[in-house]
Amino acid sequence: MNNLGYLFAVNVFVWGGVFVYVFSLVRRSHSLKKDLDLLKETLKKDSSHE
Amino acid sequence: MSEVAQETDSPGYGLLGLAGAGVMTALAAIFIYVPTEKTEGIIQRIMYFHVPSAWIAFFAFFIVFLCSILFLWKKEREWDIYAHASAEIGIVFCTLVLITGPLWAKPVWGVWWVWDARLTSTLVLWLIYVAYLMLRVQSEPGSTRARYAAVIGIVGFLDIPLIHFSVLWWRTFHPSPKFITTQGLGTGNDPSMNITLLIALGAFTLLYFLLMSLRVRLERMKDEIDRIKKERLYSH
Repeated sequence: MNNLGYLFAVNVFVWGGVFVYVFSLVRRSHSLKKDLDLLKETLKKDSSHE
Repeated sequence: MSEVAQETDSPGYGLLGLAGAGVMTALAAIFIYVPTEKTEGIIQRIMYFHVPSAWIAFFAFFIVFLCSILFLWKKEREWDIYAHASAEIGIVFCTLVLITGPLWAKPVWGVWWVWDARLTSTLVLWLIYVAYLMLRVQSEPGSTRARYAAVIGIVGFLDIPLIHFSVLWWRTFHPSPKFITTQGLGTGNDPSMNITLLIALGAFTLLYFLLMSLRVRLERMKDEIDRIKKERLYSH
């Protein structure tokens, strides 16, 4: 690998790493939001039955 | 609508814009503005990624240290949330330090890794906070887990002064600090190198705050779900 290759690899790891982490945060956030909405809907149904 | 749900609807576009602008400015400074260093050549530009990654890892673990103390003192869940979020971000950037370091070392030293004091103590720091996150994943949620995590968060931070002073106390492959020196900040460096490093440090710091806001929001959503589940359980 020449020196430019090392610099390129650093960029791939740094921005790739940050991107993967942000992507995982957004994915986890969407999944939790879905759970939260489902729970709220269930609560609303429960309260309307009572 | 609850406070958490409202927060999830507003993902902090101001901070996202600021961090994005910071990163773009840093990349322009690194690849266009700063001249190529004479001794190492183009490879020296790795410093503008390696040093800010290390700064964010240390800063993140300092926040873990601070919030862990505040949690043990005040027993408020809020401090535990901040400590947990910061530890995860710290691990991401500490991993980047451990990857970018060898990629810089190979063409300059001729080897990917040496077991010198700076490199070894940084690896130990990474292992400590991986253990911190593993403890949080493996044990039951609650105040006991938070207390144990806080203790690891505080003790683990003690490795950071050791990492910083390792290059001064022992003979190491890793060079001494070029920016923070006993003569002052950035003394002896070309001003454009200092400016570029400062821009990169600023951009990475903005990125840290953006990631923190996303990660803290996630933890609050988990709490909200747990709260609703508990309420349902007790109401039936």
